[in-house]
Amino acid sequence: MAATPILDQFLGSVADLIQKRDGAKLQDFLQIEPPLSDIYQQMITELRQRYPPGSQSDTVLQQRCEVLVPKTKGGSSWSAFPTFMRLYFTFMRDVNVENLLETYNLLKTLLNQCVLALGDSQMGVVVLPTVLYLSKVLAKLAMGLDRRPELIAHILRMEGGNDHESFEKVTLVEKSANVVREAFIKCLTDRSGTPGPQAKPEGKRKGIYLMANLCLKLLFQCGKLRNAEQMFSSISAQSPPLAHFPASQRVTYLYYLGRYLFSNNLFYPAQIALQSAYDQCHREALSQRNLILTYLIPCNIIMGRFPARQLLQRPEARGLAENFDPLCRLIIRGDYLAFREHFAVKSPSAQWFARKGLLLTLRNRCEILVWRSFCRKVFIHGGYLGDPQAQAQRGPPPFLYLQKLLDATRWLQQQHNVQTVNGTSNGHTRAESHEYGSQTLSHATDPEYSGLADPDAVTAPDTDHEILEKYGDYLASDGYFDEGGNWQDNTPGNLIDGNPETDYEGCEFDPYADSGYGDEEDQSSLLMREIESILASLLTQGLMRGYLTHRNPRFAIPGARVRGALPTGFPNVWHTISTREKEDPHVPGWVQIREPTGLGAAAALGGGGRVVNLAGARPVGAQ
Amino acid sequence: MSNSTPAQNKVESDQPQQQKPQVLEEDDEFEDFPVEDWPQEEAEQPSGSANGTNEHLWEESWDDDDAAEDFSKQLKEELKKVEASS
Repeated sequence: MAATPILDQFLGSVADLIQKRDGAKLQDFLQIEPPLSDIYQQMITELRQRYPPGSQSDTVLQQRCEVLVPKTKGGSSWSAFPTFMRLYFTFMRDVNVENLLETYNLLKTLLNQCVLALGDSQMGVVVLPTVLYLSKVLAKLAMGLDRRPELIAHILRMEGGNDHESFEKVTLVEKSANVVREAFIKCLTDRSGTPGPQAKPEGKRKGIYLMANLCLKLLFQCGKLRNAEQMFSSISAQSPPLAHFPASQRVTYLYYLGRYLFSNNLFYPAQIALQSAYDQCHREALSQRNLILTYLIPCNIIMGRFPARQLLQRPEARGLAENFDPLCRLIIRGDYLAFREHFAVKSPSAQWFARKGLLLTLRNRCEILVWRSFCRKVFIHGGYLGDPQAQAQRGPPPFLYLQKLLDATRWLQQQHNVQTVNGTSNGHTRAESHEYGSQTLSHATDPEYSGLADPDAVTAPDTDHEILEKYGDYLASDGYFDEGGNWQDNTPGNLIDGNPETDYEGCEFDPYADSGYGDEEDQSSLLMREIESILASLLTQGLMRGYLTHRNPRFAIPGARVRGALPTGFPNVWHTISTREKEDPHVPGWVQIREPTGLGAAAALGGGGRVVNLAGARPVGAQ
Repeated sequence: MSNSTPAQNKVESDQPQQQKPQVLEEDDEFEDFPVEDWPQEEAEQPSGSANGTNEHLWEESWDDDDAAEDFSKQLKEELKKVEASS
């Protein structure tokens, strides 16, 4: 029988480290990633000779690992650990790093077992560094495989079999996130040391944000951000304050939290989290600062605060000015069609924003700011700004006829139509006159419907006969369920809902579609309605102040005598939004060091703050 | 913590080099920091005392009142034209 001097020595050292509870050193011993030093190669050779793959040698190996755990009198021994060590040895013996998917699966099994070992209330903390190390390697492997689907395509097909669809739904990255989340929960729920959300982190609780950050990285990678919600709410409920953790963990966590809040349209709390991440980030960590700014800047733009030159000239802002500067200039300019062209799917800038996951949010949230600038300019050049002479006297308040806004919109549309004819046509942003739908935008025909006749050209209504031929199965089916849920037969050809001519005379409600819409509306009044809606939205959000009149449509700015029409009617966007949002400075998911008195303590006693409550949060921008 | 053990640092530093050629958009990944903790002074800009108050980093008043700017000028012309014709 072959001797195993290296393995013996290795096991001896591990036993020693367990006794000393030296988790860091233990992790250092349990290397798995190539290139491995010679001593590991020798140990692998020993393992292959002495314990070749097979259930018998696995049993013997398991027995050798059992002695690593100190036997406690009557108490439960740490049985998960010997199994983990046995899996470590078989992993080292069997792994073939050429086959990445197989490596991934073996490593996941190993990590799962290590997380089980982490669960022990006495000894678990010893493997915390190992859990973190294995999680990182697994994450790296999963993300690498995720980016190269061709490497695993054939294996996925084989494993998927008939169950192909359901197999595809959980990616390797997501699977890894789930394992890491288990480790995160074990850290969070550790009861050793001082428990409670205000205590300093001890034991496994030191690993809360290390595990959370890794899990968040994986969830962002696989696009399953929604799965993070539960994590943030358990952190809010159970974690010690973030401030007690090292800077690297704080900054990383606040970055992911900020991005999560941003993607939930909670821009103000997102801005607080990201600004804090930026302020605490090491000044030489340029790539991290760059990523933080990539999301901090749009957060601010949406709320009406633009990056200053000084910020964009910082070394970490490299590559940001050329994307955010034009956006800010478009908002200031007020040309909503140019804004849409800038964000049209095929434009190069849109692709950058899409890659960063910012395109839809910015496109949806910033257009209202463009309209505000546009209204402001039309008001300056076409509105009644009030009579400065008549300050003391009673005069009409400053106002703008919405007809001017309508004329200006039409002019803008013409400008862009001309440009599209002469220049490159993209067809997505031009607005044309329609019989129905929006007058401020036009959509390319959906390819699904491109074969249909132009709806504008359809004038003659179908005859009853034609309608029945087409829709008879719906309008005059063989039977129906009555209000009691009982089946009623219907004479074929009879309309189920009765005769529209006789049975619904004098009724407001008519179950049959009526195409009378738009008959008396000319196009201008359709556009006017839309402009009124946009202004109403601006007023509701506090981005403009005043009132609208519907008859003889006007936007009026009362109370403008002291401050002037412009500052009164078009208040500063950032001041308006930040003043409103400041009322609730709480950032969901960020545990702060609580002041001993006041509402916070009361909320803690009552169990408040246990849930991330997103219901009270208001969106910024488009309503 | 284990982050500071020499063995792992070595592995960590080897990894990016192995992965870089095959990974697209690596720059979009929030990398691990090379050090675990640092004092707040090392986060602040050397010159900047006002890192907390970031007034010079953000423009809050950006409304454009420049009537000579191209778009405003054209808009003004157009509104005049419409006024005259009605």
